[in-house]
Amino acid sequence: MKSARILLAAAIAATSLSALAYDADWKRGRVYYRSVCTSCHVANPVGSINPSAKTMGDWATYMKADKHAKGKEKVSQYISKTYRDKIKSANKAAEKFADVPDQELSDDIAAFLKKGAKDGDSPASCS
Amino acid sequence: MGYPIIALLAALALGASVPAVSQVPSEAPKPVKLNTTADHTKFKELQRVFASGPEVTKVCLTCHTEAAGQIHRTKHWKWEFLNPGSNQKLGKKNVLNNFCISIPSNYPFCTSCHVGYGWKDANFDFSSEESVDCLVCHDTTGNYKKPPGLAGNPPVKDMELPPGSGKIVKGIDLSRIAQKVGKTSRDTCGACHFFGGGGDGVKHGDMDSSLAAPTKELDVHMDAEGLDFTCGTCHKASSHDVAGSRYTPTAKDTKGAHLRGSTENRNPATCVNCHGKAPHEKAKQSERLNLHANKVACQTCHIPEIARGGVATKTSWDWSTAGKKGPDGKPMLVKDAKGRVIYDSKKGDFTLGENVKPEYAWFNGEVTYTLLGDKVDKSEGVTRINKLGGSAEDGKSMIWPLKVFRGSQPYDPDNKTLVTPHTAGNDDTAYWKNFGWEKAIESGMKVSGAPFSGKVDFIKTEMSWPITHMVAPKEKALGCTECHSKDGRLAGISGVYLPGRDGIPLMDTLGWSAALLTLLGVFGHGALRIFVARRK
Repeated sequence: MKSARILLAAAIAATSLSALAYDADWKRGRVYYRSVCTSCHVANPVGSINPSAKTMGDWATYMKADKHAKGKEKVSQYISKTYRDKIKSANKAAEKFADVPDQELSDDIAAFLKKGAKDGDSPASCS
Repeated sequence: MGYPIIALLAALALGASVPAVSQVPSEAPKPVKLNTTADHTKFKELQRVFASGPEVTKVCLTCHTEAAGQIHRTKHWKWEFLNPGSNQKLGKKNVLNNFCISIPSNYPFCTSCHVGYGWKDANFDFSSEESVDCLVCHDTTGNYKKPPGLAGNPPVKDMELPPGSGKIVKGIDLSRIAQKVGKTSRDTCGACHFFGGGGDGVKHGDMDSSLAAPTKELDVHMDAEGLDFTCGTCHKASSHDVAGSRYTPTAKDTKGAHLRGSTENRNPATCVNCHGKAPHEKAKQSERLNLHANKVACQTCHIPEIARGGVATKTSWDWSTAGKKGPDGKPMLVKDAKGRVIYDSKKGDFTLGENVKPEYAWFNGEVTYTLLGDKVDKSEGVTRINKLGGSAEDGKSMIWPLKVFRGSQPYDPDNKTLVTPHTAGNDDTAYWKNFGWEKAIESGMKVSGAPFSGKVDFIKTEMSWPITHMVAPKEKALGCTECHSKDGRLAGISGVYLPGRDGIPLMDTLGWSAALLTLLGVFGHGALRIFVARRK
């Protein structure tokens, strides 16, 4: 009886959590990628990187590896609330999305990159 | 460890994702989507494979029972519009232009932008409800596509398009798209309106793909980082009928701000609807600027240039040079230094421009079209396909910015009419296949039900497109001297005295002399008073 109750509770919890699974907003990802990522890359020697420059697999690997600047930094650092808070006085997208949870924004960007990848549904540029 | 904690750990072990339920207070409202009242992923009817667009529509209509009937009443569906002022039968189905010219005989290509499925010829059933395409306006994934050549149908599996080209168009998952429907967006409207005239930014100049996620510099209202207006914010729809018209535009809105609940039947997509008739309250010289608003459309000062988002707009199109072949005897493309096509064997020569200054004219909202069958005369120089009414004196006109598109297009010199060539297609009469104008025009005019003499010549044409998008930040609005100067932007505007432009030398000399004499008089009088006062 006791184990049955535990299993039932587990099932309910799993259902609740699934219902909360985040539905990524590729449009918000698009704005952040272009206004924050690209605007910085353009100002730095790296230059802009079109989403269509890589495949969906490349982008998935990149986001999962969470490495920026050849591993010296983390990608997530540039998506974090801390970073947005730091640049929001000079960056409207960072200001607009200041309160978005880090994971949601990361998922949004990943969705945009997947969609805009070379082999994605709508290969996209930075502009 | 209590049951809830064990359950939570078990749930995490089962792979359920991220947010922690334990952090949500028990009295908190349940998590919901806030951008819709219906999560379409939960509808069993949509959890299936769809083999065609109409199959999706049938399911949509089981709940949205009135939607197709509403769509049937709109210009987006009928592509036909009877102008009550001129009694001209207009709409995309009937008018000609100097871009791709006309729709009849090219249906499967042009109707990729119809809000329906299957309009492949003149026999399309406009009463069919299941032929209404809900997804083209309500897709939120950005993945819904209706490639030219499929008569408005989306590809549901990978296919070679055009046939024989070797180019593969990927099939799309209609079920996934149907489960993600939502409100219209700049992306959905833009899928057609950004690409009018056959490509990105080609036709309008103030609408192109850069408006999908624009900066404030490009458009203060649609600024994706700011106000983020969708098209529907201004073009407020009612019963699926979207406000705003190219055929009967509102050139001068005299009624002021439109209050919520107002039952006035008026176009909500004007600047005045929100900003009122005296919009410059906080500006320096606000009174003077508000006086301008009586005669000058807001767009004239606040849209200094068009095509500012990095996408060039076509400014002219010369069909008379089409048909040249490359050294290999095959159709060719010629590109400019920026990689933009400026010659295409199928279409002729183009000119393009970015950051294009508009032209200006008095405009009262009346638009008259040169339609198929109307007589045209090459000796008159230029045939205006749409003539904008307006003058300084009629009390209804404002000075408007326009994109004036110039071209040269085929016409029938014997019948003295414009023609509707069959351009797109894989058949022997299509111009883009056989490069023969006579065959293409004969075929197209047959579908249009219009006579064709068999002779072809080319005639110069013009179309004027009032500009209203790409509103710049107020700091970038035109300065006074842009217009108030010799050879300024309004050099061609007649019927109004424009200081700085219209000075008459003799009048100026007399005026300045009078002012100088007055000043001398004031100083002289003052000096005499001082002199007299000291003597006392």
